[in-house]
Amino acid sequence: MSWQTFILHVFTYGILLYSILLLVCYVCIGAFSISETRTYLNKNSFTDYRVLASSTEAPSISVLAPAYNEGTTIIENVRSLLSLHYNNLEVIIINDGSKDDSLEKLIDAYDLYRIDFFVNAQLATKPVRGVYKSRNPVYRKLIVVDKVNGGKADALNVGVNIAQNNYYVCIDVDCVLEQDALLKLAKPFLENATERVIAAGGVVRIANSCQIEGGRLVKVNLAKQFLPRVQTLEYIRAFLLSRMAWTRLNGLLLISGAFGAFDRDIVIKCGGYNSETVGEDMELVVRMRRYMEERDEPYRVSFIPDPLCWTEAPSTFKILGRQRNRWARGTIETLRIHKKMFFNPNYGLLGMLSYPYWLFFEFMAPIIEFFGTIGLIIYCLSGPINWSLFMIMLGVLSIGVLYSIFAILMEVLTYNQYKQRKDILRLVLVAILEPVIFHPFVVWSSIRGNFDLLRKHNGGWGEMTRQGFATEKKTVTKLL
Amino acid sequence: MFLAKLLILNEFLPVAYFSRVHYQVIVMLSIAGLIISLLVYMLFYMYFKSKHEKKHDKWRLISDLLIHRAVFYDAEEEDIDETEAQAAIAATARAKKLMHNKHSRKFVTGEILSAKKNMTGTASDNLKQLYQQLGLDKYALKSLKSRLWHIKAKAIQELTVMEMSEYVNQLYAFTNDQVELVRMEAQTAIVQFNGFEGLRFLDIITYPISDWQQIKLLQQLAHVPPVNISIDGWLRSENNSVVVFALKLARNYHRFELHDDILLCLDHADQNVRLEVINYLCEIYTDDTTDELISRFLKEDFKNQLAMIKAMQNIGSEKDILFLLSLLDNESHEMKLTAARALAKIGKSGLASLQGHALAKSYPLNEMVLQIKGELAA
Repeated sequence: MSWQTFILHVFTYGILLYSILLLVCYVCIGAFSISETRTYLNKNSFTDYRVLASSTEAPSISVLAPAYNEGTTIIENVRSLLSLHYNNLEVIIINDGSKDDSLEKLIDAYDLYRIDFFVNAQLATKPVRGVYKSRNPVYRKLIVVDKVNGGKADALNVGVNIAQNNYYVCIDVDCVLEQDALLKLAKPFLENATERVIAAGGVVRIANSCQIEGGRLVKVNLAKQFLPRVQTLEYIRAFLLSRMAWTRLNGLLLISGAFGAFDRDIVIKCGGYNSETVGEDMELVVRMRRYMEERDEPYRVSFIPDPLCWTEAPSTFKILGRQRNRWARGTIETLRIHKKMFFNPNYGLLGMLSYPYWLFFEFMAPIIEFFGTIGLIIYCLSGPINWSLFMIMLGVLSIGVLYSIFAILMEVLTYNQYKQRKDILRLVLVAILEPVIFHPFVVWSSIRGNFDLLRKHNGGWGEMTRQGFATEKKTVTKLL
Repeated sequence: MFLAKLLILNEFLPVAYFSRVHYQVIVMLSIAGLIISLLVYMLFYMYFKSKHEKKHDKWRLISDLLIHRAVFYDAEEEDIDETEAQAAIAATARAKKLMHNKHSRKFVTGEILSAKKNMTGTASDNLKQLYQQLGLDKYALKSLKSRLWHIKAKAIQELTVMEMSEYVNQLYAFTNDQVELVRMEAQTAIVQFNGFEGLRFLDIITYPISDWQQIKLLQQLAHVPPVNISIDGWLRSENNSVVVFALKLARNYHRFELHDDILLCLDHADQNVRLEVINYLCEIYTDDTTDELISRFLKEDFKNQLAMIKAMQNIGSEKDILFLLSLLDNESHEMKLTAARALAKIGKSGLASLQGHALAKSYPLNEMVLQIKGELAA
């Protein structure tokens, strides 16, 4: 056997093993997701959230919303947050050194004045320039913090320092929340008597083309543009299948930075958000889990499948590429920081299953796919074109399509946000087109993220200029 | 996803024993078959769902009629006896026939239940009669024997909403069920039927009561006239969640006479119990309460220490000033701020002591004092 043949064999059987494992993962994710979703829906049918809304025993919650150059939409977004159904609530807006007039707009709109406030810096952050409260008692729940720019993680750490309550919910200020979102997110912290719930995540859905009035979602529409539409499918797949399955196993490693609730005490004990990574949301959850595992305390990370939070998705390849580049870097950084857990039985399921899954199937998948495709092209170029290869490629893509269609089916069977049959058929069409139009771009963006990290190029979050969707009776069709 | 990619190189694989084309066709057909199956299932599901919605409109019409007749029926006005009244409310043969179908029965039950939740008085009683006339209580009882927990729990919830108090003994057996949702619904039912007396299940339960269930039960009890039930037995329960719940009851219903018994729970082994005791003492206290808290302060963990000082913001007096001043040297800023706030809330003497403290002019106490003064002025 020549060395070329040997390498080809290793490559071939390596890919075979990887493919089989990935398929097994997909099947398991599907099965666990069905089980967890069914349990949740059954449980939820007994729940009257009004009990929590009117109870003085409900836990108090701080909502943390970092804002950077959000002047276009900040007033409406804050109004939307203030109108959430929850009694024991404080809303903390953290102006992360915006260069625009966000702070001035907030001061004018909400009649704010600067108060004397001792910031208990339990987490190290960039300096706080001032804390503001409203003279108008209607806005008594509102606290606005002005700080020196330090990024999202730093802004959230300031929020954690200033928050007065045991639990906090972090949200992206441009997100639109359902009115009962906090009631639903608070419940997991109350219903578990044997394990400490350290964090709870919620589903994020795509708001492009949806009808938003006065900062509230009034009508759900399927995104009209291709990129947001394909991300709609992607989010359904990620939230309804993957995260539900990992919740079943109590192995969830990621709660979206756009919408999640946390036990403040544990967050502080863990050292808060890591400003050195762009994947601070995942890194925090992993660190919190690690903290609990190392202390051998029973705990759980919960997840709510109800569509509670709606956000704008990138509609241009440029912004999308930047986002996916950042996600890739965030994943690598988190895995690198916590490499100690890799196949480490001391961390239980976290070390033996969750971490390896993320390493092999989230971080390595785009790399293997990229180099696999290159190898394939070289193989094709080195010999005569074989038309049966085309059929086989179609088979590869079909498995991805199958998984997407299963996700659409789960959506139809559960929350069915897109009522019209033609919308579902459009999603099916997107599932067919995604592997050839969208997926290669996502893989390429991840590869670029890997290269950027190797070159120590930290693109950070990048600035976003939002069109916004908070204006009256406006239908979102344009994006960032 | 890479399985098929690999097949491109299939001369190196064991599958090369198969005919290449034959193998590819099998793989492709299997995947295509699965996709088509899912799509067909999805389309059929959507079709039958919309068809069901049309059926729902029909069932809604029938149930609305039944509910309307029951709600607006007044036996006294009609001047007829109870038997006649029942007959008048009685469901039509068509409606009874509808109950044989599982789906229509579920639908009509749901409609009656949601109407019942919004009714009181005669209308509510009439709906209860309608429910029984349709034999829905018998179906619910049958569901209690189901092996599926959610069906069992749903049946308990249904009997509770419909106020079927005659089945209370059957429901009581579920109050310590191993499935959380089942026992939660059963506990809710017993409290719904028997009010405070229904809390007797606290004597027997071995599973913990979650915070959510405690909130639910307290909310339910808020709607019934308070009764001075005996709580002290639950304060000694081996189930810590029962002790916590008993303490919440004592706090919410201002059970002053239990103060001394509850004070003993400050030495309870469970941290949550001790925290709930502090919450109770924050509202129900004597002149000596703060002394008791101070005497146990050093033995407590940080969370409970903080709760003690927060309680002293409400119940502290001049005799506690020295103790609170000593906390201004504490290494935790949170503790310092809480103690400073407690001092300020004691009154002028407390505030003067705070401002006169040696560290009051330096960071961080100077900023804390400014914040507290701002809070007092607001």
